[in-house]
Amino acid sequence: MIDLDLSAPFDLHRATVLPDWIDWNGHMNVGYYVVAFDKATDTLCQQFGVGYEYTRDKIGMTFVLEAHVTYDREVKEGDPLRITTQILDHDAKRLHYIHEMHHATEGYLAATNELMLMNIDYASRRAAPWPDFAMERIEKMAAAHATLPIPEQAGRLIRIRKN
Amino acid sequence: MLVTLPYEMPELITSAPLDIHRSTVLPEWVDWNGHMNLAFYVTAFDQASGAFMRNVGLGRRYVDGKLGMTFVLETHVTYDREMKGGAPMRFTTQLLGHDAKRVHLFHEMFHAEQDYLAATNETIIMNIDYATRRSGPWPVQAAERLEPIWAAHRALPRPAKAGRVMGLSKGPSLRSG
Repeated sequence: MIDLDLSAPFDLHRATVLPDWIDWNGHMNVGYYVVAFDKATDTLCQQFGVGYEYTRDKIGMTFVLEAHVTYDREVKEGDPLRITTQILDHDAKRLHYIHEMHHATEGYLAATNELMLMNIDYASRRAAPWPDFAMERIEKMAAAHATLPIPEQAGRLIRIRKN
Repeated sequence: MLVTLPYEMPELITSAPLDIHRSTVLPEWVDWNGHMNLAFYVTAFDQASGAFMRNVGLGRRYVDGKLGMTFVLETHVTYDREMKGGAPMRFTTQLLGHDAKRVHLFHEMFHAEQDYLAATNETIIMNIDYATRRSGPWPVQAAERLEPIWAAHRALPRPAKAGRVMGLSKGPSLRSG
């Protein structure tokens, strides 16, 4: 298993906006922000040993229960992305976290994605506790992130905001 | 501000909720878990938003004519049940509110044959001026079409899954804890 990265926030994932991700408005489409964020979730899950191999080897899966995205600024084809991740909370079978997507060279915040992820038993496709090896790593990362301020985009409810 | 739109308007549908959009889970939307990936629920819901906006008069011709665009500001999805490749989807859409340049929508996605709720999506969409790429008021003709839709939709009960704040249900919330 790879070495656990306890930098706070977790700051490993990099990507580039692909041509297929652009829509008729000439910017990354709403759905592909979530594709990009989901790949950052894969990078996070690898840290806990519950990434691609976890499913390929029929040990378990991780399902997203709920997602909230704020679209803060446009990104265009070819733009480099830097995605950071902060653990907000966890329990025996769930993980609550938020990703922030930044333009990697210009630095601006492009979007945020708050997620609730659940561990799934491979055979039954139902919720199950995190395996011990994952829980141990989740707890270490959660502890490393515990003193970070909670981003203002976390815990939002959708409404028309007066401005 | 744009007053009239230089193309023919579709017949206005005021049934509440709007229940016209149908689609199918494409093979490329399926991930290594063998079900529709979470991102493509957002894509599928975005197409349902497109159906709502076409009814308002702001479809593809609005963008192609370089008149304006509509951007999503924020979106919240609940994933209620898995959908497999090829599954038929039926969407309903409720207008929860609107102002001079925004609409607040709530979509439900159902398996069109088995009829179970697969997901919900609450979203805010804003009108954008084509030239400046900044927010601007709805074209007058579109705002006028929103009113009878709103009159019909405002009588619907507020969906239980609207206005959710994410958190583990045990104990106090993040901010009060």
